Amino acid sequence: MKKLIYILGAVIFTASTGCSDFLDINETPNNPVAVTPNVLLPVAQAGTAFANNNELNRFGSTITSVTAGAGNLPARYDIYNLDGSDFNNQWRFEIYNGALITYEEVINAATEINSPSYIGISKIMKAYTWALTTDVWGDIPYSEALRGEEIVQPRLDSQEEIYMGGEGIQSLFDLVREGLADLDQESLTNPGTDDLVYGGDLERWRRAGYSLMLKMANTISKVRPDEARQIIEEVLTANNYMLSNNDNLSVTFGSAVGSRAPIYEWTYVSIFENDMMISTRFVNRLQQLNDPRLPIFVTRPNGIYVTIDNGFRGTLPQPQDTWSRFSAYATGPGGQGPVRLITYAQTQFILAESALMLGTPGNAQDYYQTGIRASMSLAGLTDEAINAYFLANPTVVTLSGSQEENLEKIITQKYISLFGNGIEQWNDWRRTGYPVLPDHQNVVGIDGTRPVRAQYVNQELERNPNFQIVLPNVPVWWDVTQN
Amino acid sequence: MKKILLCFVMTLFTVLSVVAQSRTVTGRVTSEDEPEGVPGANILVRGTSLGTVTDMDGRFSLDVPEGRDVLVVSFLGYTTQEVNIGTRTQLDIVIRADVRALGEVVVTAQGIERDERSLGYSVQSVRGDAISQRSEPNVLNSLQGKVAGVTIGAASGAPGASTNINIRGITSFTGNNQPLIVVDGIIFSNDTDNTQNTLFGSQPANRLADIAPENIESINILKGPAASVLYGSRASAGAIIITTKTGRGLEDRTEITVTSSFNLQNPIRLAELQDQYGQGTQSNYVPTVSPSWGPRFGTPGFETVENLQGEIVPYRAYPNHFDQFFQQGRIYQNGVSIASGNIDDNFIVSMNTTNQEGIIPNSRFDRYNVQVGGNKLLNNGVKVGGTVTYVKSFQRNSTSGNAGSPLGQITRIPRSFDLIGRPFQDELGQSIYYTDAQNHPLWSTENEIFESNVDRVFGNINVGYDFTDWLNVSYRITADTYTDRRNQTLRIGSARAPQGELADEALFRSELNGDLLINMHKAGIFFEGLNANLLLGQNLNQRDFQRIGVVGEGLTIPGFDNVSNASVFTNSLELTTRRRLVGHYAQLSLDYREYLFLELSGRVDQSSTLPQQNNAYFYPSAALSFVATDALDIETETLSYIKLRASAARVGRDADPYLLQTLFVSGSYGNNVANINFPLSVGGASIPGFGVSTRIGSMDLTPEFVTSYEVGLNLGFFENRFGLDIAYFNTVSTNQIFNVAISPSTGFDTRTTNIGEMRNRGIEAMLSATIINTPRFRWDANFNFTRIRNEVTAIAPGVTNSNIPGDSFSGIAPSIAVGHPYGVIISTAFPRNAAGELLINPLTGTFAPGVPGQVVANVQPNWLGGLTNNFTFGNFMLSTLIDARIGGELYSFGQVDLRTGGHIDYTGIDRDQPRILPGVIEVEEGVYRPNNIQIPAETYFGAGGLGGLASEGAVFDATAIRLREIALNFTLPSRFLNNTPFGEASIGVSGRNLLFWAPGFPTDPELNTQGAGNIQGMDLNGPPQVRNYGVNLRFTL
Repeated sequence: MKKLIYILGAVIFTASTGCSDFLDINETPNNPVAVTPNVLLPVAQAGTAFANNNELNRFGSTITSVTAGAGNLPARYDIYNLDGSDFNNQWRFEIYNGALITYEEVINAATEINSPSYIGISKIMKAYTWALTTDVWGDIPYSEALRGEEIVQPRLDSQEEIYMGGEGIQSLFDLVREGLADLDQESLTNPGTDDLVYGGDLERWRRAGYSLMLKMANTISKVRPDEARQIIEEVLTANNYMLSNNDNLSVTFGSAVGSRAPIYEWTYVSIFENDMMISTRFVNRLQQLNDPRLPIFVTRPNGIYVTIDNGFRGTLPQPQDTWSRFSAYATGPGGQGPVRLITYAQTQFILAESALMLGTPGNAQDYYQTGIRASMSLAGLTDEAINAYFLANPTVVTLSGSQEENLEKIITQKYISLFGNGIEQWNDWRRTGYPVLPDHQNVVGIDGTRPVRAQYVNQELERNPNFQIVLPNVPVWWDVTQN
Repeated sequence: MKKILLCFVMTLFTVLSVVAQSRTVTGRVTSEDEPEGVPGANILVRGTSLGTVTDMDGRFSLDVPEGRDVLVVSFLGYTTQEVNIGTRTQLDIVIRADVRALGEVVVTAQGIERDERSLGYSVQSVRGDAISQRSEPNVLNSLQGKVAGVTIGAASGAPGASTNINIRGITSFTGNNQPLIVVDGIIFSNDTDNTQNTLFGSQPANRLADIAPENIESINILKGPAASVLYGSRASAGAIIITTKTGRGLEDRTEITVTSSFNLQNPIRLAELQDQYGQGTQSNYVPTVSPSWGPRFGTPGFETVENLQGEIVPYRAYPNHFDQFFQQGRIYQNGVSIASGNIDDNFIVSMNTTNQEGIIPNSRFDRYNVQVGGNKLLNNGVKVGGTVTYVKSFQRNSTSGNAGSPLGQITRIPRSFDLIGRPFQDELGQSIYYTDAQNHPLWSTENEIFESNVDRVFGNINVGYDFTDWLNVSYRITADTYTDRRNQTLRIGSARAPQGELADEALFRSELNGDLLINMHKAGIFFEGLNANLLLGQNLNQRDFQRIGVVGEGLTIPGFDNVSNASVFTNSLELTTRRRLVGHYAQLSLDYREYLFLELSGRVDQSSTLPQQNNAYFYPSAALSFVATDALDIETETLSYIKLRASAARVGRDADPYLLQTLFVSGSYGNNVANINFPLSVGGASIPGFGVSTRIGSMDLTPEFVTSYEVGLNLGFFENRFGLDIAYFNTVSTNQIFNVAISPSTGFDTRTTNIGEMRNRGIEAMLSATIINTPRFRWDANFNFTRIRNEVTAIAPGVTNSNIPGDSFSGIAPSIAVGHPYGVIISTAFPRNAAGELLINPLTGTFAPGVPGQVVANVQPNWLGGLTNNFTFGNFMLSTLIDARIGGELYSFGQVDLRTGGHIDYTGIDRDQPRILPGVIEVEEGVYRPNNIQIPAETYFGAGGLGGLASEGAVFDATAIRLREIALNFTLPSRFLNNTPFGEASIGVSGRNLLFWAPGFPTDPELNTQGAGNIQGMDLNGPPQVRNYGVNLRFTL
């Protein structure tokens, strides 16, 4: 009997002591816990492209009368309806848990393997993404954001502090300057095809960094003209901004399923493809200007433009496959895009506006015409065709009026050149009031006015007491003129 | 010496029997109630199929062959008796009424059989004959309404659709709240594997569907943690112990049982529809829209209209298209089992088949079970036994869910659309419909399908030995493993994947357990009358899961459903998890003079999923039972039984695997508006990408705990003909492992941590009665009642609500919310003023903007009840079950579609009359006047009026009282079978869900599109419920 108990005891003992290894199996085989910067960078860049080009672009293009809503969310935007249920995917998964946190991780991973080129690119792209976010929502978590468990309820920094810097808050301009400095350092590894923008061409990244400085200076030029002037002069002095369309800061996608630019997906593929079409107003505007880009930008499946007016609430044109939509210029022939975040033309229009309004060096007229030519050339028009247009339409291409009239011309041409980038079109309209956008039909909104910011997403209001509702009719800090 | 003598006598007996001649035995069967004779009683010669039935005077005459000397006398409602004839040829047999045995044996944790009176906690037993031959292939559905404290709900009537079960409420925020299932000692996976997006998926089966109901001998439900503590963490949501049939009770006979049933299944239509208005909006005909807000039928100029295809078609109402779309289902179930042996040496082999054609065209469920098992007492005293079961099951269903599925379309079809009278596809096999954006539902049922192929094996081996009369040691190894090969096919032209998509995946799940049990028993320990039993156990457990899949898109050859037909591959995935657990436990049971019982248990678990340095956790339980009638000797004729019981228990629950670390995940963005998935294919290069997961891991995780207190009272009256079993429980779940939602601007969306508290308080009552008990007629009634109050009392500091993990539409979030029951739905509520009156927008006459983020629906019922009546009349037996689910709400897309689309009947009544929404208009701050703004019917029933999909307007009362089950069975009197090879034969008819009354919902509200799991109460364009009815045959050879 005793023997038996010993045997039993031994069995139990053996079974229990082998346990430390037996239970040491909780390392996940499914996900990496550490990765290198080259697999992070494309994800971060694609996140920025999504933020600019997905739902926010459906909104931006519609709210600026480029497109008109035919159903679902765009039909809401079209009548100025916007609330906290909008853009939560953008805020959460494209911006904060998408592009921004991933740039942060690129910087961490690149620091470990001494590769500042990745850091420089990430800082420039991060600054772009921050600018996009604050331009849309105003005050946002910035200096305390992206800290994970360390700060679970980040405070909001004012848009002014984000752009200009403040107590413990780095300005976006300084972030770009840091990034430019990082690009100049020796780097152990450098990006190649994993860089969806320039394929690892650091010189073009420098130009992109300076061009981003121009874009951000332009954004604050109304509220802080002196600082804007100073920064633009700094860029002109460094003289290394975009030189041609080849320098455009644009994210290239592919044509395969699961690799395509968002604008292609929601224009031609997804179940929401019939949510919007090009607005009658946009077609009319370009027709009035005899603009040769119209047939390049806008499709005509049946040979004619099939469009509706903004806010139209009647029977939609049928069948849906005759609708005029974003062409391959914006979507790429098979979804490649590219998603153009900053273009050469855009920088030229910024310099034209600055020369006109801030007195920065250079001739506004020259920048203006270079901008138009760059845009037309990007659209695929030959130099002959562009020259012909200039000859036939001298009033369009010449800044011959008052300062205000000239500004309207510049921003109107910039608006056309930004076709496919609704957020930048909306930014310019908010800042300058141009192009003149008559109210849509059947508008509702908060007070019937065109939204000038996005409302904070409901998830933040629920989870972070630092957020208070700010309605979409309250201008952001840099938006000092109201229409 | 004694033994030898016995053997000798036995041998002598046998010899005597051999030489004995066949003889005629006559006799009479009487009972206390019918001393003049019981007619219709069955007399069977044991070990043969020979038998007879008593005549009107209770008399019988039977030829008993040589070598047989035991008669088995049975009569429904009476205890079956065995009578040794000896040398007699004349017998008087008195049978006794089968009084409800309150001292019945129940199966408890680890398969230990216990006397019910000794239990200090609640265990409810359901016999196999209450499950089998009930027109229902899924065991869980057959339990509905029969067990107190248990909430069961089927996802839908689609073949194989999963069924959810919760015992005594929900105890974990995010863990598995389904009880542990144990089949013959085998921990049995009841996972549902919702690998598809449950908003758009096809309702895969809960894997308990792999059990054939015909094989079940009994089901014992261990309700609280005290009952299930020996199973440890796994059973913190309760346990269901299923025992399958064996040859144990056959007393050396061989019995071949054949069962066969055929049932028809009809869908319950989703709504009655209006027949006055056709396709269009604002009284205009629009050929491409889904609403029926078009012109009234018969309006001059609208006799015919031009459809999308340019054809001129009549403009009129078509018959209810639910009736046209759904078909009558058929369920064929057949089985044969061969069993033989006795309590020590026995075997069984059985085979069962189930073939079901579903109510949705092209849907089906097939199941094939083969089982073999047996036990043997070896010469050296070692007991060995084992079983192995192989199951093959197949399920095919259409896609379901909002918009792009046949079931998403069926609620949106304009009344003037001819669903079945026109071709649904063209020569190229492409859908012809009223809109190009969607597909004809009949096209979808052919071309958008989900298939699941399961091959499953489960079995056990056990070896036991009695070392002495007080010490038994046994070891058991159990295994349960299956692969589920799934394909979701969306052929070219599918609305969700216009270029076609094939999603193939293989799921593998395996669970191994090794259990050592040492049982010691000592009577008269310390003093006379005190008996002790000590159980020591060890459990080693390993669970593996693997999911490998690929999605091929961009198909080339129509109808070639193989991923080699795809041009692009996305969402390739491999997910592997392994977890292990080591448990040690002890249970000391003391009983004093069989009226006072105390049981103390403790278990230590070590889990691989917790931080290694802190992975062990202990939890205790104690249970007390006191049979007052025996202890105080106060048993009277009226009050025959009083038992008081109380228990307290705590159970720990470990985490899911791999929650400790923050991870990188394959990069992806977007949703169904636009999306990308890394690796990205750009300009010929494939670019891999990883991003940061949305969740922050925690290295400080500790186990969840459920603490439960239970008190109960059992009463028996009139020799236990009437019984009452009532229990109150209070369960607190603490330390929940939960992904707390955090501010997205942290860069993450959630953080894993231990937080929160949830409480379940409930009352269960069971009332049983043998109302009439005569040999001719017996009436048993059984009523059970369940009322559970669940409340989330805390989540995390500063967090008042959080989504339940799973798929949800944005703005419609199944949630936990502080102060509310688990699973409330947070959505946009109608705006109200301080007085609770609905606010109307004075400009439009519609509701003012809704208030997002509000609790709009509680999906948990107020109370549940079930009333079973069994009537036995001679050889007929009638069983009925009425159950009630009172309160609780359902969030229904289907009904909103039908209302906003102007399809449902009430939208056609007085449509031309303007309507006024109930509510008030703010005149000035705090001053309101009643709304008097007239709006058209289309606006009234629309999204701005009674509400759209993501609004309080989608919430309906799910109260339903129904005739859940009815079964009438006729057992052939054995005199008809005398000269046949049959031993017993019965024929029956049965039906399920034959009638229901649901005052708050236009159709049957027992729906949950998302299937078994923690998200309940969602009808997101899933299949409807069904009613089944059919015939059942059973005979033995």
